[in-house]
Amino acid sequence: MRHICIKHNLDGLIYRLTKLYIGKAGLTMATNIQTKVRKLPPCRAACPAHVNVQGYVALIQMGKFKEAVEIIRRDMPFPAICGRVCFSPCEDACARTNVDQAVAIRALKRLVADIERETGRVKPEPIPKKYSQKIAIIGAGPAGLTAAYELAKLGYPVTVFERMSEAGGMMRYCIPEFRLEKFVVANEIAYIKDLGVEIKTGVEFGKDITIQSLQNEGYKAIFIAIGTQLGMRLNVLGEDLEGVINAVDFLRAVNLGKHVEVGEKVAVVGGGNTAIDAARTAKKLGAKEVVVLYRRSREEMPALPHEVELAEKDGIKFNFLVAPKQILGENGKVKAIECLRMRLGEPDESGRRRPIPISFSEHQYEVDTVIPALGQVAEISCLPKDLLSKEAKAPSLKVDPATLETNMLGVFAGGDIATGPASIIEAVGAGKRAAVSIHRYLQGMDLRSGREEVEETTWVKNWGYINKKERRYEPPVEKPRVSFEEAREYLERVKQQAMFEAFRCLECGPCAECLANLELCEGDKAVVDESLCIGCNVCAVVCPFGAIKKNEKEIAQVNEDLCKGCGICAARCPEQAITMKKQPNERILSLALATIKR
Amino acid sequence: MMESGKYKIVCFMCNWAFCQDEMRIPPDVNVVRVMCIGRLDPAIILEMFENGVDGVMMVGCKPPDCHYVDGNLQAERAVKMLRKLLKLTGLETERLKLLWYSPTDEKSFGSYAKKFLQEVKGLGFSPLRSEKPKSNLLVNVSAAKNAASDFRLRVLLGREKELTEGVNVYGEKLLAEEFDALLDEIATEEFVRHKIHVLTKTEPLSVKALAEALEMKTANVLRHIVNMRRKNMIALDHVEGTTPLYRALEVK
Repeated sequence: MRHICIKHNLDGLIYRLTKLYIGKAGLTMATNIQTKVRKLPPCRAACPAHVNVQGYVALIQMGKFKEAVEIIRRDMPFPAICGRVCFSPCEDACARTNVDQAVAIRALKRLVADIERETGRVKPEPIPKKYSQKIAIIGAGPAGLTAAYELAKLGYPVTVFERMSEAGGMMRYCIPEFRLEKFVVANEIAYIKDLGVEIKTGVEFGKDITIQSLQNEGYKAIFIAIGTQLGMRLNVLGEDLEGVINAVDFLRAVNLGKHVEVGEKVAVVGGGNTAIDAARTAKKLGAKEVVVLYRRSREEMPALPHEVELAEKDGIKFNFLVAPKQILGENGKVKAIECLRMRLGEPDESGRRRPIPISFSEHQYEVDTVIPALGQVAEISCLPKDLLSKEAKAPSLKVDPATLETNMLGVFAGGDIATGPASIIEAVGAGKRAAVSIHRYLQGMDLRSGREEVEETTWVKNWGYINKKERRYEPPVEKPRVSFEEAREYLERVKQQAMFEAFRCLECGPCAECLANLELCEGDKAVVDESLCIGCNVCAVVCPFGAIKKNEKEIAQVNEDLCKGCGICAARCPEQAITMKKQPNERILSLALATIKR
Repeated sequence: MMESGKYKIVCFMCNWAFCQDEMRIPPDVNVVRVMCIGRLDPAIILEMFENGVDGVMMVGCKPPDCHYVDGNLQAERAVKMLRKLLKLTGLETERLKLLWYSPTDEKSFGSYAKKFLQEVKGLGFSPLRSEKPKSNLLVNVSAAKNAASDFRLRVLLGREKELTEGVNVYGEKLLAEEFDALLDEIATEEFVRHKIHVLTKTEPLSVKALAEALEMKTANVLRHIVNMRRKNMIALDHVEGTTPLYRALEVK
C-alpha cells in the first residue's frame, strides 16, 4: 500500500515551491495552514454539498476504493447517484482545467460506488438515538433524504414522509432508467434506512398529514422538501389537446411502469436535462422521429453537454432558436406544432442571451405528440398560506437562504421548493444546511453564527510547471459485456485506470482529512544518540527541511516540528548516531534480507 | 555452478513513487519500501550483494519531484559512490540500477522491473550466490561494505552538496570533477584499508603477504597500515623472525 498524506505532501510541495518557483506566495499559504484558516480545494469549495473530493481521490490513488466511498458518505448519502447524474461543478472548478482537462471526478465517484455495491456493501450499524426530539421530514427526495441522513447521524429519531409508493423523489420517478438505474437509487436509500431513518411512503402532505397534525404528534421540527412536482405549462393555444403530455408527467408515468403512448413524431419543447431525458425516453419507447425545440442556441442549453451528445447519438434532432406559438389539432388530437423563429438579444438576469421572436417567421412541424419540458413549479396547494412567498414569480416557499427557516417556528424548508428547480447536489447541500439548522434549533443554539464558510485555495501558482496528462478513465457509456473469466481482469484494469486518473489530481487543498494513514500522519522522527554524535554537521547539510542542527554543545538536535521522517540524515550520518523511530536501518536491512530468503 | 530457479533481485522503492502495481512485477523482484530513496544507507546495498543478491534496483521519484525536496539526488550521489566501490570489488556495476519512476508514468513499473530482470539475466547469477564463492570477491564486497559504513566516505558523501554547491569560508568552490577525483581517491583508499582489515581478521599477515593479496607495492601497503594503526584498526600481532605480522582490531 502506498502511504500518502496530502498534508505532508503539500508541505513538501510548499517548501519546494517557495524555494524554487513561487517565492512569497507559497510562504503565505504555508503560514495560513499554520494558523488553521479553513480553506478548501476548488472542487470541494464548488460543490454545494462540499464533498471531500480531494480525500476520496487520494484514497483512489492508493487503491482504497471502499474507504473512498466512506469518505463520500461523510458528506452525502448518494455516491452512486451523483456519480451518474450530477452536473459536477467540481469538475468545472478543478484546478487541472488550467493545464489540460479536469480530473474525471464524477466518473471516479461512480466507479467506487459501483465497486462497493457490486462487491457487497456492508450493512451499517444503526446509529444510537442520542436525542429524544422527533423530527419529521416531508418529501423523500434528495434534500429530504440528505437532511434525514445527516440528522440520523447526529442521533435524532427521524421520520420521512413520502407521497409516492417509493422513496427517492425525482431521482426515482423522473430520471429515466438508462441514466440512473432504479436499483442504484434503492441501494442508496436502503443505506439511509439502515442507519435508522424511518421512511413512511404513501403519506400525502396536506391530506394525510399537515404541519399541525405533525406538531400534535410530537414532532419538534419539520423540514419541508417536497420539491417542484408540476410541469410548467406552455401557455399556448391547443395545449389541452390529446397528445400533449408534460415532460415530468411523461417521465413519471414511464418510470412507474405505465403504458405511455408516443406517436411516431415527437416534439420536445425545452433545453434542460428533463427535455433531453424526455426526448431520449420517447425515442426508446418507439418514436420514429424526435425533435427538441429550444428557443435559444446550443451554448445556452442548460442540459449537460455529454447528455446532449448521447441524445444526438440516439438520433434525436435539435432545432435551436424556435419557440412554439400554438399547437394545431385535428379531431381533438395533436397534428402539428407551429413555431416562431427567434434571435438572441441582450443577456438577461440569468446571464444567458434573451430570445426575441422574429415576426412572420411561423412554420409548422407535423407531430403526434408534444412534450413540453420548460421546467417545474411547486405544488403549493398542500402548503399553509402564510408560508408562501408573495414576491417571487414562481410560487414557492419563503425561506431564509442561509438557515432555511420559514416564518413558522420549528418549520424549515429547502431544496427545489425553496430555490426553484435545481440539481440533486444542490438539494443535497440544502439538506445538509437544513440538518445543521434543525440541530441548532433543537439544541437552542444560534442558527446563524459560526456557520462554516469556505474559501477555495490551490498551491499552484505557475500552471506551466504542471505536466500535461490526458484523462485516463472515462466510465463506459454502455455496460461492458464480459464473460466471467474476463470480469476479474476487466475490473482490475478499470481499477488501474481509475488509480492513474486519480493521480492527475493536483491536491490543491490542505489536509484532506482522509484519515487513511493515521500512523503515518504522525510521521517518523529522527533520534540522535548523543554519545555517538561528533558534531560533524553532515546531517544538517543533508536534511531537506532544516530540521536537524547542532546545538550549543555541538551535538545534533532534531526539531520534531520540522522533521518529516525521511531518514536521509540517518543514511548519511558518518558515525551512525542517528536512527529513525519507525524505520531504522536495521529494519530496512532485515526486510530486504527477508524478501530474498523467501 | 548453474543454479536453476529464481533470480534474487531486491528493489528498494521510495514510498512516494510506489505504485500498486504488484500484479505486473515479476516474482524475482522483491520490493522493499523506504521512506525516501535517499534514506537508503549505502552500506545496506553492499550488504545485499554480500548476501548473494543478483541485482539491486533503487527506485526514486523522478526529479524535480521529491517528497523530501532533494532526497532522490542524495540517492544519486550514493549510487555514484557505490558504483566506484563496486568497480573496485570486481562485481559488475550493472547489477546496481537507479531508476527514476513516477506512478503516473506511461510505462508501468512492472515493465521497468522486467527490463532490469532481463539485464541481470544477461549477467547471470551473482558469483557470491553459490555455496563457496570466490573468497577474494567476498572479501572485496565485505571491504566495500565496511568502507561505505565508515566515517570518511560517509562524511564525504554527506558533504557533497555543501562542497560542490556552496563555497567554503575562504570563498573557494569545489568543482564537480575535483570532487569526483577526491571521491575516487578516498574510495580507493578506504577500500584498500578495509580490505586489509578484513584479510587480517582471520589470521595475522605480513606486509609482504598483504601486498601480494592486494597486488600493490609494499610501500603503499605499509603507508596504509601506518594510517590504520593510528586509527586503531589494526595492531601488531607478533614478529616472525624480522617480519612483523598484523592483526585486525575490532572496530568500535
